[in-house]
Amino acid sequence: METNAQTTISRRDPALVMRLSRLGSLHQCRLSFMRTLTRRLARENWSFARPFFDIDEKGVGHAVYSATGPDHTYSLVAFAHDLPPEMRSDRVIATAWDATFTLFDGVPTADDIARLSKNVPHQEAGRVNDKSLSVSRANRSVRLWEHMVDALSHGRQPEAETVASVGYLMRTTAVYGSGKLGAADYEKIACRPEMSAPFQAEMLSVFLTRAFVTDLVNHMARARGGDQAVELDHETALSLGIGNSTGLGMAPFIINHPVLFNNWTEAREEAIARVRSLPSATTEEAATFLSLFDRSKLSVEAWHSNHPVQIEKLSGLAADLDKITAHLNHVDLTRDHPWNSLYTWAEGALSEEGQEMIASLILEPYGHLVDELASSMADGRPEAFRIDGAMPVGTVRALIETAFGWTIDTNWQAKENCARAWYVSEEKLEPRLGERFEEPIADYEQPLAPARDAAAAHAALAKWDADLPVAEFLLKQPEHRHTVRRVQICADAPYSEVQDNTISATVLPIDMLRYKLAVFGATHFDPRSDRWVRISMFGNAPYPADLNEENADLWVYPTAEEAK
Amino acid sequence: MSFALNEIEATAKRATRGAGRDWGIAEEAAKATRWLCSQGIDGAAVLAAVLNQNDGKAAADLRPQSLQGDWQAASGALCPLQTGASLSDCAARLTAGRITLQSVSNPAMLLPFAAAAAAQLGQCVTLEWEGCAAVTDGASLCISGDALLVAETSGVSASLGGTLDEQAAKATRATADTAAWESLNSFAHRTFAPATEASRIAGAGAGLSDND
Repeated sequence: METNAQTTISRRDPALVMRLSRLGSLHQCRLSFMRTLTRRLARENWSFARPFFDIDEKGVGHAVYSATGPDHTYSLVAFAHDLPPEMRSDRVIATAWDATFTLFDGVPTADDIARLSKNVPHQEAGRVNDKSLSVSRANRSVRLWEHMVDALSHGRQPEAETVASVGYLMRTTAVYGSGKLGAADYEKIACRPEMSAPFQAEMLSVFLTRAFVTDLVNHMARARGGDQAVELDHETALSLGIGNSTGLGMAPFIINHPVLFNNWTEAREEAIARVRSLPSATTEEAATFLSLFDRSKLSVEAWHSNHPVQIEKLSGLAADLDKITAHLNHVDLTRDHPWNSLYTWAEGALSEEGQEMIASLILEPYGHLVDELASSMADGRPEAFRIDGAMPVGTVRALIETAFGWTIDTNWQAKENCARAWYVSEEKLEPRLGERFEEPIADYEQPLAPARDAAAAHAALAKWDADLPVAEFLLKQPEHRHTVRRVQICADAPYSEVQDNTISATVLPIDMLRYKLAVFGATHFDPRSDRWVRISMFGNAPYPADLNEENADLWVYPTAEEAK
Repeated sequence: MSFALNEIEATAKRATRGAGRDWGIAEEAAKATRWLCSQGIDGAAVLAAVLNQNDGKAAADLRPQSLQGDWQAASGALCPLQTGASLSDCAARLTAGRITLQSVSNPAMLLPFAAAAAAQLGQCVTLEWEGCAAVTDGASLCISGDALLVAETSGVSASLGGTLDEQAAKATRATADTAAWESLNSFAHRTFAPATEASRIAGAGAGLSDND
């Protein structure tokens, strides 16, 4: 229906959307990569198998999990290890893990497995080839793992509270794709329909990893308890996600990939605009929203954090949920542009957490209007990299004012405005954020302060004739080439820049992590510091064998039974 | 060893930055090196030659001093990275006639920038220097002559036109000369901050036990 995509309400202003505090309040939605994946796997009736599981009583060995779609088979090759506690670290600088993985393109032969077994367990210190689409690793939640193996091996189910307080048995600490460590470039698979949305290979690897981890805990309980052991109850297994522990490495990604950043954000903004533009809703659509709002409340109840920033945000969100509940009691969601009315009310009444939850939730009844936008989220414009050197200097200045107008008057000499610097440590190339005026790091600064650099370019361009082609300027002042490229990209991609200071004394890198992880589809953000966050992925999702079109999409919202 | 093109690109960017070039030029070098590799040319070796030849020299002396008339460096040969970036920036000028570059080092590194110009114009661009002629439409490349990989040439002509006869096969992986790859990695190493105990603890923001 062509009329479906007509919008009378425009997309939200980038100046509103692209602030760090709002990006750091994002929630998953229909377009999140995990849900795009599970919908497709179910729709196309993918089949799953476990052709290999050879793990000893100490938990050492390997297993293979395969997923077969219309045209391709993908195999998760999992290596399980016996890791001494003193070596367990979630950081990039770790050198050993509880489990390591690669997503193999096709079905691995014995020779492939032998080769991978010498490399994948070493992660960055190993090499894979273009038959691998991702390389990843995971560590146990020691507390839940021990509790669960102990309970099951003695013939008991684990305590529900202990399970709920952690939510996962293992957390991934890196999932590398796209050519890292010798793996295939994304271009190799980009033309396959199942890989055309971003990060589908990585999400598939995590989806299969979850199945492996549950099998492994059952296996270890049997190894310890013998005939006394019981299998993990299916409902409990369903509630478990895969954790993820993410540090600073993910934050630069959205700055280093402005076209992707734009496409992810623009797709969601377009979806929000389409739904807000609907003049009315059916009673079924309204009921879907109300039901999923109730289920969202259960999800928020199960969301715990010990970090002061998130504790405050969660308390704001809890208050928001109460206000929404009260508001919904006396509004009619079927008439008078109901979703626009609701969103507009939310803007005035709720915290950013609550506003973004509403913005994501109103999309739920409208898969037919918004799901197709997932296909626009990849970067299909490599030519955006090229600078238009014929553009007049005056036009470039005007573009900077549009994209970075908020920053032109910032005093970038003031210490508090440039207190931090992003750098890469020689220690396993770990990305870090340091104090510019306290550590010797300024010489190593990465280009992750687009606003400061834009202000500098704006000032430099002011000394040039506005009619000259910018090529002349770039010849003499190549230090601004990076910025000119960005502002030209932003001219066509208005959601490509963070409209905030990424090096201020008060910047919270977890805002950038939260944004990206929410786009993936993560929930239960639990910051460990201002630059480190743990999350849950695929919690309450069906396992591969149980996946069908009924349960493939809304698993992210727990039902009352699941939340018990 | 077989490398992903993304690995080539990432290392090329760090290496060029490590060699003291601005980030915007490092980004160009990274894409250019990747493009060469995708054409079956050892782009890593070409970039290593460029960076080694100009290491420690003032970048301002190696770029065209003016975009009017023939392009030439302040002294010595033009650096193909800065010159290439300007060539891509000035693509539209090729419609008015050829651009002549005087004395260029490692001219093979100009090819990706000629390709960028061709893609912008939707027409083939031809680069010629003594012993080599290269035609590209942006996506494909056709080379004749055996002087592709010379260390320096006395002049390069860039012009519109040319035909793509025997195109090089596209590569999806790269093999890099070992010494050149080591050289790029040693340039890249200059961009990494030495590890200190303070940065190890605070910089990444973890520091809590992960045995929980």
